[in-house]
Amino acid sequence: MRGYTWIVFKKELMDTFRDRKTIATSILIPILIFPILTFVMGIAMQGLFDDVESHVPIAIIGEESGVTEFLLETGLVEIKPEPDPMAALKDLDVFVVVEIPAGFTEMLKGKNMADLILHYDEASQKSTMALGTVQGLITQFQQEVVRQRLIDLGMDPGIVTAVKTESRALAEGESGNPVGAMLYMMLLPLMLTMWSAVGGIPAATDLGAGEKERQTLEPLLATRASRSQILFGKYFAVVIASVMGMLASLLGFLLATLLNPTVLASGGIMPLKAVLVIAVACLGLNFTFSAVELAISFYARNFKEAQTYLSPITILVMIPAYFTLYLDGKLIPESYFHIPIINTIAIIKEALARIYDPRHLMIVGVWLCVYVGIALLFTRRMFSRESVIFRN
Amino acid sequence: MIRVKELSKQFGGFTAVDKLSFFIPEGQVFGLLGENGAGKTTTLRMLATMLQPSSGSILIRGIHAIDFPEQARAHIGILFGGETGLYDRLTARENILYFARLNGMESKAANARVERLATQLEMTEYLDRRAGNFSKGMKQKVALARSIVHDPEIMLFDEPTAGLDVMAIRLVHAFIRELKAEGKTIVFSSHTMTEVMALCDAIGIIDRGKLIEFGSLKDLEKRAPGMSLEEFFLHRISEERR
Repeated sequence: MRGYTWIVFKKELMDTFRDRKTIATSILIPILIFPILTFVMGIAMQGLFDDVESHVPIAIIGEESGVTEFLLETGLVEIKPEPDPMAALKDLDVFVVVEIPAGFTEMLKGKNMADLILHYDEASQKSTMALGTVQGLITQFQQEVVRQRLIDLGMDPGIVTAVKTESRALAEGESGNPVGAMLYMMLLPLMLTMWSAVGGIPAATDLGAGEKERQTLEPLLATRASRSQILFGKYFAVVIASVMGMLASLLGFLLATLLNPTVLASGGIMPLKAVLVIAVACLGLNFTFSAVELAISFYARNFKEAQTYLSPITILVMIPAYFTLYLDGKLIPESYFHIPIINTIAIIKEALARIYDPRHLMIVGVWLCVYVGIALLFTRRMFSRESVIFRN
Repeated sequence: MIRVKELSKQFGGFTAVDKLSFFIPEGQVFGLLGENGAGKTTTLRMLATMLQPSSGSILIRGIHAIDFPEQARAHIGILFGGETGLYDRLTARENILYFARLNGMESKAANARVERLATQLEMTEYLDRRAGNFSKGMKQKVALARSIVHDPEIMLFDEPTAGLDVMAIRLVHAFIRELKAEGKTIVFSSHTMTEVMALCDAIGIIDRGKLIEFGSLKDLEKRAPGMSLEEFFLHRISEERR
């Protein structure tokens, strides 16, 4: 970058980062959004878990029996004496109703199989989750009854346990929070892709349509700088703003994992190789989208029109981002590496799964170069067209 | 100084400028008169090399402006539509310096020139303040300084007083007179007859893209004795459209 391009670039960068709106939308919001989101989610999730894992309010229909005592002894449920247990379940005064049929105790004493009915409200998340907790406790009760029966028969209770399992995570530095790690793997590619694509929008709007609206474009075009020099000076400024937005969102994401590991767990420190692969993939998007956004912004007559034209880009990126939300980083179909945006998400997911397939890296690298090339050609063509520049 | 030959510009099927030819010698103030949409702005934009002509040629101080636009632009300063468009988040100094540097001035020379212009246009007080809060008059001065910071030999003004208040109009007129006294060649478009009468050495009347009259004020007076410029302008346009 030399001469007039450098002068335009320096000025645009200074101008952009003096704009409070751009700083707020490109840096502050991406830094704050995830820590705030996970903080709120953390509080909500904690409340939910407290309700359904430690003090599950239940009601009993039927006779008192050993199962009632067992449930009380665990300390994880609270048995409420409800005159109408089903109505209480409907009102969510209790989350589960345990119906003990007549003759339940006799059936157990006679070493027979006894039925137990668990009522829950499928429309309620708390009731559904509480059902899992109560089912787990009933299973423990059932195992205890079986154990006692085997002892009574003079047999070793261990013979009914043919296989004992132990779960060990494959990833190094496992966080001990598989749900948090899974969320991290799902959200990080989505967030990086989104911000790489949309991070440059505020700057592009200002440097294209904003220049027209301020009536500074014509004096600028009348200077000795060529159109290409003006364009590239502006383009690199938008790229920097876009990269800053992406880095800010990454920082926000990392802050979220540190501040609230119960919601988001990073699964350990990312290796440098993964960081590099992800950075290059994101830069490809930064360079591509910055060019497209600048071209669209120059086409717009004014700031407002540019915002209208540029807003759909967010949706355009969200579709592939959500499409691949549940994509397993280890099971990505080959065709995905050829589809725009999806291929960047795919390579990020692979890097997060510590997979560095040279073939995939090369395919996506080539595609990214093609996208950047096409985007730049398109932008240059737009900026050289009088019908675009003087559209207003 | 400026030689225009058979200059035309089409936008799709519409001819905005139709085979315009004229010559403006050095140091002359030339006024381009015409109604809105007559082709004045398009002509000035082509002279400033911002628009590519469909046909014809432009020579700016002997430079073929169509083939070598960047070299031609080195000799041109422009002020469009009375605009005071500035970068609000930059100071007055930064605004002017930016254009000085983009017009090929070295940093040191550009700084010295900005200081001189600030004194000349009485804007030293707010030179280092951001332009966003400037009054229209203050902005106008910065825009004027920006247009001449690289000391061009040719100045193009496209309706420089459009939408301005009385004080700002006086400032622009004084500025043009000063440039004229310095020997600059000036082309400006207007539809205000009094302005043209007061400032120009020669005028051209443009109607629907065609130059229908061209000459010095004295020539025109000879051609239409007893007629005011306004009467002559209306007479020629109605004659042309008959």
